[in-house]
Amino acid sequence: MKRSIYLLFILVLFGCRKDELNKMDGPSLADLNGQFSVIVPFKASQDSVNFSTGESVYFTAEFSKVSSWKLELIGQSSGAIKEITGLGNTLTSSTTIWDGSTTYFPMFRSELCTARLTIQGEEDTLLTTVKITQPKVNSGFVIADFETAFNPGWSSFIQSGANMDFQIKTDNGAAEENGYLNMAGTVNWDWLIGLINFKATAYGAPTFPLNSNPNNLYFNVLVWGEPSLTNSLVLFQFQEDENGNGSFSSNAEDMYSLQLTVNWVGWKLISVRYSDLVCLVNGAPAAAAGNGVFEPNKLMQINMLHLANPASGYAKSKLDYLIFTENSPLNP
Amino acid sequence: MNYRILILLALLSFHLSAQEGKKVQFVGGARSMLSTSDFSTEKSDTITVGKTTGGYALIDLGFKINPNAQTEILGMIRINNALGGFWGSGVTFGVRQLHVKGIAGKGIRYQLGNIDYKLSPYTCYNSNPDLILPSIGTTAIKEQIVNYESFYQSNTWRQQGAAADFALLIGKHQDEVKFKGFLFRLNPSNQGTLFERLYGGGSVMLKQHKHIQIGANLAQVFDVKETAMNTDAYRNQVATLMYQINHDTDISALELSGESGFSNTFSTEQLHTKLADYFIHVKGKTIFKKLGLTLEAAYMDNGADFRSAGAQSKRIDFNQQNTFYNRFTNEQIIRPLSYYDLYNDPSLYAIQFSTKLMTYNPAINNVLPYGIATFNRRGTYYSVRYSDKKSCLSMEMKYHRLGEIRGQGTLALRQFDYFIGSIQFKPSSLLHWKKSQTVFLAMAYQHTKRNSTFSFESIDLESYTANLGISCEIADQLFLIGNTFLFKSNGNEILPIRDAQGAIINFQSTVIAGHEYCFSGGLKFEFSKDVYISAFYEHNTNSFIAFNPYQFNQFQIAYIMKF
Repeated sequence: MKRSIYLLFILVLFGCRKDELNKMDGPSLADLNGQFSVIVPFKASQDSVNFSTGESVYFTAEFSKVSSWKLELIGQSSGAIKEITGLGNTLTSSTTIWDGSTTYFPMFRSELCTARLTIQGEEDTLLTTVKITQPKVNSGFVIADFETAFNPGWSSFIQSGANMDFQIKTDNGAAEENGYLNMAGTVNWDWLIGLINFKATAYGAPTFPLNSNPNNLYFNVLVWGEPSLTNSLVLFQFQEDENGNGSFSSNAEDMYSLQLTVNWVGWKLISVRYSDLVCLVNGAPAAAAGNGVFEPNKLMQINMLHLANPASGYAKSKLDYLIFTENSPLNP
Repeated sequence: MNYRILILLALLSFHLSAQEGKKVQFVGGARSMLSTSDFSTEKSDTITVGKTTGGYALIDLGFKINPNAQTEILGMIRINNALGGFWGSGVTFGVRQLHVKGIAGKGIRYQLGNIDYKLSPYTCYNSNPDLILPSIGTTAIKEQIVNYESFYQSNTWRQQGAAADFALLIGKHQDEVKFKGFLFRLNPSNQGTLFERLYGGGSVMLKQHKHIQIGANLAQVFDVKETAMNTDAYRNQVATLMYQINHDTDISALELSGESGFSNTFSTEQLHTKLADYFIHVKGKTIFKKLGLTLEAAYMDNGADFRSAGAQSKRIDFNQQNTFYNRFTNEQIIRPLSYYDLYNDPSLYAIQFSTKLMTYNPAINNVLPYGIATFNRRGTYYSVRYSDKKSCLSMEMKYHRLGEIRGQGTLALRQFDYFIGSIQFKPSSLLHWKKSQTVFLAMAYQHTKRNSTFSFESIDLESYTANLGISCEIADQLFLIGNTFLFKSNGNEILPIRDAQGAIINFQSTVIAGHEYCFSGGLKFEFSKDVYISAFYEHNTNSFIAFNPYQFNQFQIAYIMKF
């Protein structure tokens, strides 16, 4: 009996594995090292796309071997670029779907786009075109996109320095659509160059219409960094009316801040979760003056200050598309 | 049911009440290190500062409190003072260990807080696949420091959570059944995309008289849903069956043992990427008692999709940078991890196990890079152990003949040969000298080969590792210690590149050619077994970066104490 049990044990233990000789993990080395050729031509799933209604477009192609590929969608009039990269021998809807979003600003407009596919290590560049009939619409609360004149509900202060240019412009330099806020000048006696107060009352309510959950709410802004100038500071202040009396008391209510040192070149998207904002006093972290609770539903005013060290001379930056989004940062 | 609770282990290892009745005791350790290094390269390097001096003194001070005979509370703080960091600068304070343990009722042993835990080699087991050679001498001192800093104790992982175990005696033969259960927290939620990740499971082990033991283990890593703004929760479930059958006589002992089981690994929103597989590991052992000889033969079949986070995690992820001379030459190239770093830098070692496959160095261990539970391995291994009665000569040799089960990027399979052996000679035992003399030699050889008609699929990689150590007592408690460590590897490998889920997405062809030699020697004075001071010098050369070989000369003083 004992021997039978032992024998059974051994038989169970040495049970045969199903044959795996015809299976392999990963892409085929033969494919990776073979000759490159295009088996299925590169094409878009549709000729034109209306992103504003939630449409999307994808691209397909098939190669003879697994390759690193880069798909660039370039707006012919805006110069906007969407970049998608991948590794494989096929381009499919799951790897190349485009919802109208942008990788390199400005954002796409209603325009014809060139789709350019390049393969690492290969000279071939594959091209096709897609027409955007309507660009993507982003959901969220837009504070300012500077497409029209100053909202009369905002207030502003601009120093009388040299070469001051603190105004909305509508040239080709916007990140979103046509208008943006230009902020430039030399103020050699003060850090402040100019400021704008975006008041909730300008939008018809004592507080901004925002979600009360600070972990789900994101503040987004596009900020321009001027080539060869890195002295601009852009400071956002978020003032909460905690007691609901219609005014802000700096000694008793919370003001959270976001300070940006503009040390990049070109447009850059800044996205910050509301609960990641900090209290600052003269740029240094400080304790909250109020209850210390992030309450975006009580936000009554956003101050935007363009600052620069007075000794640093001329400073310049631009702003566009200030928007609050829920659940995730802006996908422009 | 005629069974009763057995008070277990409380009378053995857990001797709370036996500590001379003291309610509060101080336990811990202290260490002071002082080192000066001289780094140089053969090529011009006007950027890297060659000489450095550093060191620290630290104390781990633990308060062990026994409020009653069944309970122990341990809190241990660390005070670390960097060399030259007097009067507050360079001083750090931290908590090294906190736990409560005791016995509940009449037989349930529990522990809360920091727990060093292992279950079985395929479920929860901290294997050491990179420092593959045992050693004495200077390398042993360094390895002890690494193990102490990383909480490595006989293949345990440091965990935080709760564990309990108890045993029952059942039936008329009073068969013993041991139960274990645990629940650990691997990481907290970040309230965003990261879930609360837990590791839980347990085991049941039945010991039927003295000949048969059979048991089952379950270990599961799981994300707790609704603890993050994410719905794609990770799961890794491993269930195994263990057994051991003994036949013991005065002359010999026979043993058949093993572990077999399966795993399921998936994320709840991506079931198409699910990995499920099984493993078999069976081992036969014969002990010739009068000869001091043990022979062992084993068969293992670890499926290609078998995944066990608790057993396949490495201590070192080779996808990290050195903290010591991490760049050199005028081009400031990155200096990859070497054996020198593995022995000298405890900060490279993981304290917690990982649910992702960690990067390995094929030159160091290509055969079993994730320990004995390495997936996609099938084959046999054989071992011989011998020790004479006077403990003058002891040796151990093990040979693995393994192969892949499933090819990577090709249907051709890698074949592996892996020999590892050590021999220890104590002439003092043979000649009845009062002073201890030990010579120890350990060696390892690995060969990976994949034959193919295509050159881009072919692999041929050989590695040799050897460590010769001596420890000779030249005066009372004063030892001359030294080591010669040699490591050489030549050949090529085609390493998989994996995505975040562990699937292979590409390959990187790698040519390996180089050596690393380390010669060291010094003195060690043992005040007692757990308290010693050692001073030694070492010379290390490394040529794995073909155009930029480098070398270290280092002098170290180490004072180590445990209390």
